[in-house]
Amino acid sequence: MHSKSKVIWIDGVSCYGCSHSFYNYPEIKELLEKIELIYHPLLPSNEFKFQRCDILIIEGAIKNNFLRLDFDLIELISKLINLSKKIILIGTCSVYGGIFGEGVLFNKENKGKFFKYKDKIISIPGCPPHPEWIAYAIEMILNKKRLILDKENRPKEIFSYTSHMGCVRNEYFEWKIDAKNFGEKEGCLFYEQGCQGPYTHSSCNKILWNEVNSKPRAGTPCFGCTEKTFPKKNLFKTETFMGIPANIPLGVSKRAYLTLAGVAKSLKNERLERKLIDDSE
Amino acid sequence: MSKEEKKLEIMKTALNLFAKNGFYNTTIADIAREMGMSVGNMYNYFPSKESLAKELLIYTSKLFGEELKKINEMDISSKEKIKKIVELYFKMAKEEPELVDYFMRVYLSNKEIFANGCEGMLCVSAFVTEIMIFFEEGVRRKELKNQDFFAAFGLFMGYLGGLVFLFREGILGKDIEEYTNSVSENIYNALKI
Amino acid sequence: MIVNKKIITKIEGEATLKLYKKNEIIEFAQIEFWQYRGIEEFLKNRHYLDACVINPRVCGICGHSHLIATAKAIEDALNIEITEKAKILREITLGLEIIQNHIKWFYLTLYPTIKKIDFFKAFEFSKEIAKIIAIIAGQFPHNSYAIPGGVTCDLTNLDILKIKNSLKKMFDKYQNVIDIKGDSKDLENLFNGISKELGKSINKFLVLGDNLYFKSNGDVEFVKEEQSISFNKNVLYKDEFVEVGPLARNLNNKLIKVIYNSYKDSIYTRIFARIYEVNLIFKYLLKIIDEININEKSYIKPKNCSGTGIGIVEAPRGSLIHKVEIENEKIKNYEIIVPTQFNLSNGTKNKPSAAQASLMNENEKFADFIFKCFDICAICVSH
Repeated sequence: MHSKSKVIWIDGVSCYGCSHSFYNYPEIKELLEKIELIYHPLLPSNEFKFQRCDILIIEGAIKNNFLRLDFDLIELISKLINLSKKIILIGTCSVYGGIFGEGVLFNKENKGKFFKYKDKIISIPGCPPHPEWIAYAIEMILNKKRLILDKENRPKEIFSYTSHMGCVRNEYFEWKIDAKNFGEKEGCLFYEQGCQGPYTHSSCNKILWNEVNSKPRAGTPCFGCTEKTFPKKNLFKTETFMGIPANIPLGVSKRAYLTLAGVAKSLKNERLERKLIDDSE
Repeated sequence: MSKEEKKLEIMKTALNLFAKNGFYNTTIADIAREMGMSVGNMYNYFPSKESLAKELLIYTSKLFGEELKKINEMDISSKEKIKKIVELYFKMAKEEPELVDYFMRVYLSNKEIFANGCEGMLCVSAFVTEIMIFFEEGVRRKELKNQDFFAAFGLFMGYLGGLVFLFREGILGKDIEEYTNSVSENIYNALKI
Repeated sequence: MIVNKKIITKIEGEATLKLYKKNEIIEFAQIEFWQYRGIEEFLKNRHYLDACVINPRVCGICGHSHLIATAKAIEDALNIEITEKAKILREITLGLEIIQNHIKWFYLTLYPTIKKIDFFKAFEFSKEIAKIIAIIAGQFPHNSYAIPGGVTCDLTNLDILKIKNSLKKMFDKYQNVIDIKGDSKDLENLFNGISKELGKSINKFLVLGDNLYFKSNGDVEFVKEEQSISFNKNVLYKDEFVEVGPLARNLNNKLIKVIYNSYKDSIYTRIFARIYEVNLIFKYLLKIIDEININEKSYIKPKNCSGTGIGIVEAPRGSLIHKVEIENEKIKNYEIIVPTQFNLSNGTKNKPSAAQASLMNENEKFADFIFKCFDICAICVSH
């Protein structure tokens, strides 16, 4: 019998939301039984010590002058990276920096401190990342399967989707009917409320959170939490230039988008102009 | 002559008649007579006066839109673009007054004709889209003030329309093109950041 | 006297516990948190609504409490009233966050300090609890569905039905952890061979929040922060250290009172109060879910744009305080005081904080156990 793959899960500057998100993975027990989890910041594990591992999972950002386990955080990460075969960066903090610091692979738009290890890194951004994404990355490595990655090392099977895909408010987007307010079933949140779904890479609305819902389905705009720009300013307001959305859906020219939007807005969908549920006939 | 070319000729004839006699006073029979065609044959090209009016609108909007697109694609500042747009508009007003007349008098004052199939921006989208792009890029480049689209659109187009109206009524003291600089300057000052 | 410095992990971050001891008995303890993440600074000059996205990221396990405290602080500042429906929904999601926290803490954090346990038990609950939160709030962890003025969701009766059924199912299942009569095999097993008198503390309790069924017994006006030897500030109430959390807010419960009368504020009482609180919250949630009027508005747009306000909630670990100053819709100042600061302040030998007092005069082999019974959140402290 082969010995189990050794995994170290280390924390940088974090809120531990990645770990707690991972705890919601339905098959967590089966997955953890397949590996040897040498160290985890929260789950029961042995005392930390430097050693070789097959997979290093990093949660949280890096930052100068920050102690972790009595080591300088950046030195600690550097040593661990050299001791590991593959690295999974989980969460927007560890990929891009997020709220708390710099990312391991990137520092927001720029190359990060450990960019030279790009070849052994898999990026799973998200604040937090979906538990299935984390499990998927681990499983793909365990099963020695080929991952198709984009140029920021994100698996395409997850991040070639936008969080707009599968949103139940899509019909309102098609007909350019904006939500008049928060707290309503009706309307698309892209025009006023700041939803970044059409240009955010993630499969949130395809696989759903906690198997039941997503932020836009619950009336909360997508904040683009999987992107290097997270968190932008004015997260609940769509940035517009002269009333025109400053960011338009991925892959379409502004001219084409505005033409289509104008047409859709002019041809009203009367069903969607009304409340979905009321006492009218 | 192809069918498309013939249609274009009919539209131009109609434009003249609309400008001369007004939209409501012009009939399909009048247009046919001017073209030297039978009324029956006219209907092969346009099933109704309304459909002719709509196609004319689309045609005019595309014409303006294409010219605006050229300006939008130039590597110049918003201030310079404003001047180009004003120049274009005044030149059109002089060289193709029927077109400008049609756009202003028929489209803007007879919206009910366009209620079916030309709602909202449908028939003028080529033109409006380019204006949107002009504004959006101006704000993005931090040259124009970020404000409501229609507040800016009304200021720009209303101003130009007003001058063309005065020009067509023969009230302007000077040739309309002589106003290009001062009008451009005023628009820029009103829209700039 | 020997000083033993020990890094405590598995507490959503780290802390250093310095134990001053004679033989194996702890004479005094100091607690240091050395991390700082700068959330309050990060919020400055942002629109106040951004705080509803940033603040949950204070903590991955109790971020929802931070969200609700944020919404309440801003509502206080801008004089906003929300509908009953929005209030009830917030009670449900916050109550559920406390529940998942306690179960994870019991099996993942506390138990392994003393005995082996199948900690996957925790996830069987927590992932189902998270699912109920997600029906209302979109996802868990890290949603932002509670915003000043109400909530972003607009539920149907189908959702309510699903929530109610799941609540009932989880409440039933929880009876195997500790039942409504207070019987718990896992708890008895945990204390098998350990005195229930262990870790008595300062016996002063504070409750500031009035969410769920909790009743406040104090006024936030008397809460003061002071510098300490550590990065985090000490927090005192009327110049004294107090204990906040499940034991403090459930002392009026008959069953908990009986145990308290026998063992005072020992760690047994503290742990019992914490895991038994889950039953009380379940009961309360099952009552209020029937009071939702689905036809009420979810959200009312705020009118004011400047002001100062305070938001207090009873979070999993106790009273959580958010203070905000808003000028023209922008955050001018933001301040967060977390429950762990109350319980883990650094006092002196003569005037110890709750955690220090409970460690004093106990055998050092129980240090980790006693320390963690306060359900420390290092990451909340290092906001």
